[in-house]
Amino acid sequence: MDEVVLKIENLEKSFGELHVLKGIDLEIRKGEVVCIIGASGSGKSTLLRCINLLEEADSGSIWFEGQDLMDLHVNLNALRQKIGMVFQSFNLFNNKNVLDNCTLAPVTVKKVPRAKAEETAIRHLKTVGLEDFIYADSTRLSGGQKQRVAIARALCMEPEIMLFDEPTSALDPEIVGEVLDVMKELAAEGMTMVVVTHEMAFAREVSDRVVFMDQGVILEQGSPQEIFGNPKNARTREFLTRYLEDKQE
Amino acid sequence: MNQQSKATFITRDYRYLYLGCSLIALLGLSLVYSQPHPYSFLRSDGALGILCAVIFWSFLAFSGLALMIKFAYWSSYSDTVMRHPSVVRASRWASYFVVVACILALIDRGLLRFVYTVQLCSQMEKNPQGFGSSMIYMTLKGKDIILTGIWTTVRLALLGTAIAFILAIFMVFLRIQEPDKRDNDFVKAVKWLASHFARLYVFVIRGTPMMVQALIFYYFGFNLFKKTNMTVTEINNVWSFFISGLCTVALNSTAYLTEVLRGGILAVDRGQTEASRSLGMTNWQSMIRVVFPQAVKNSIPAIGNEFIINIKDSSVLSVIGVMDLMYATKSVSGIYFRSLEIYCVAAILYLILTWLSSLLLKYLGKRLDMPVKGLPSSN
Repeated sequence: MDEVVLKIENLEKSFGELHVLKGIDLEIRKGEVVCIIGASGSGKSTLLRCINLLEEADSGSIWFEGQDLMDLHVNLNALRQKIGMVFQSFNLFNNKNVLDNCTLAPVTVKKVPRAKAEETAIRHLKTVGLEDFIYADSTRLSGGQKQRVAIARALCMEPEIMLFDEPTSALDPEIVGEVLDVMKELAAEGMTMVVVTHEMAFAREVSDRVVFMDQGVILEQGSPQEIFGNPKNARTREFLTRYLEDKQE
Repeated sequence: MNQQSKATFITRDYRYLYLGCSLIALLGLSLVYSQPHPYSFLRSDGALGILCAVIFWSFLAFSGLALMIKFAYWSSYSDTVMRHPSVVRASRWASYFVVVACILALIDRGLLRFVYTVQLCSQMEKNPQGFGSSMIYMTLKGKDIILTGIWTTVRLALLGTAIAFILAIFMVFLRIQEPDKRDNDFVKAVKWLASHFARLYVFVIRGTPMMVQALIFYYFGFNLFKKTNMTVTEINNVWSFFISGLCTVALNSTAYLTEVLRGGILAVDRGQTEASRSLGMTNWQSMIRVVFPQAVKNSIPAIGNEFIINIKDSSVLSVIGVMDLMYATKSVSGIYFRSLEIYCVAAILYLILTWLSSLLLKYLGKRLDMPVKGLPSSN
């Protein structure tokens, strides 16, 4: 677990007056599962969206495969193919069925032959447990099923790294489990993952490293044992205590 | 009123029975005593006519009686004989007779009179004096012109909207171009030009009346062909009134449909673009494969409305001499020297066309699982 896949240096981002990211430095190593936790509005989602340039940061660098994504001359589309993203609101293509959701990007972007793309898609749909829904209309699935299709869709591009933007926040508590299980499986297979989440149990159990963000800066990071067992920063402690209290209520 | 209460109103409810059916009876009486025509089976001195009149009169008399009792026993009316179940049932049945008799009278004096008038008018030598019969006379005599007009109007609206839709797809792609900071300067300039050209086009077309546009297009084309030393007859063959009118409708609708499609694109959730871009698709691929198909689906009701608007608004093309329904009625009015009557016919025909189209669109909308609103306002 040495090779650095993604390196973020001094990333700054403002929305008008609002300073959302105040100089973020972060390294993600190959095969690592990093969970980013923190209160709402702390900039975790913005950080994740800045990584594949869905939001354009104001300054700083994002090194990926030896290239700085912030450089205006890089081929952004080529690099984005290797960065999978899973959204809070699933964002399945409404005009396509499940299989076409998964094959669209491989066929149009990577020019994979359709038959081969479908084969890959079906393999990934099986891993997320949706082999019975291959030809289903994507708008008629449940939230948990949609999110699992979204994960399969991202996997079909064979990404180097997967970004998860609060993947279970829009789901019923009962369904959260089925998505988290898929993510655990992915982590076990050695996928590099950056997960913005409020699922503390998942962060504690699955992640190699937990990053705590507050008001646009990374306050503390370390192994789950360190962060959850013995947080050094007062703000981290406060957040976790309040979070656990909320859970108990 | 929902289905349930409609049924109850006819079979049980008796609150406004006397009042409502008395009005129906009065209408029936006025029809029975009106001037009969040769096809009438219901004359005031014939058996059936007398029977109907008796039904109407007796119901009126009975209602009058009910009213008197109501006035006399205002607060204790429900204890009177009028609320006895048999009386209530009898009055209910009486009301059915009144309605049936009135329908008979309507068929006789309305439908059959219309049939008779049409037959009479078709044999007339000159335009009759009466308003209705003159409408029918001119419609019958000018039916070839009017049918040509209707056909032209339908073609203008259909072809115009179809061509406009194709042009609008092209135009909206220009419209939504936005320079990105990753583009080189040439691409940036092209995108800026494309977007601003589309904006200007929409601004000018939407800001000027279609009648003026029709005149400008026609004379612009005419002058252009004139430069090639063609004779006027040759030009009229190539750049006919219909062709230039069709161009006007198409180019005019393009501007409106561009905005419709742009609205459709904006209505597609941003997450759709984000998801496709995050998979490495280019802006263009994401637009073609994901956003645009959804945008068109969103826009289908509005495109249908544009078609209905074109049926109505193509009437201004008569100003350059396109033989549409408007021009046809104008010609008929010129032949028979009567205006009000024939323009009322035009209004009725336009109304039938737009009504049928909206029914068709509603049906299609249901098939495609999309709600369609009522008749649209003019552009």
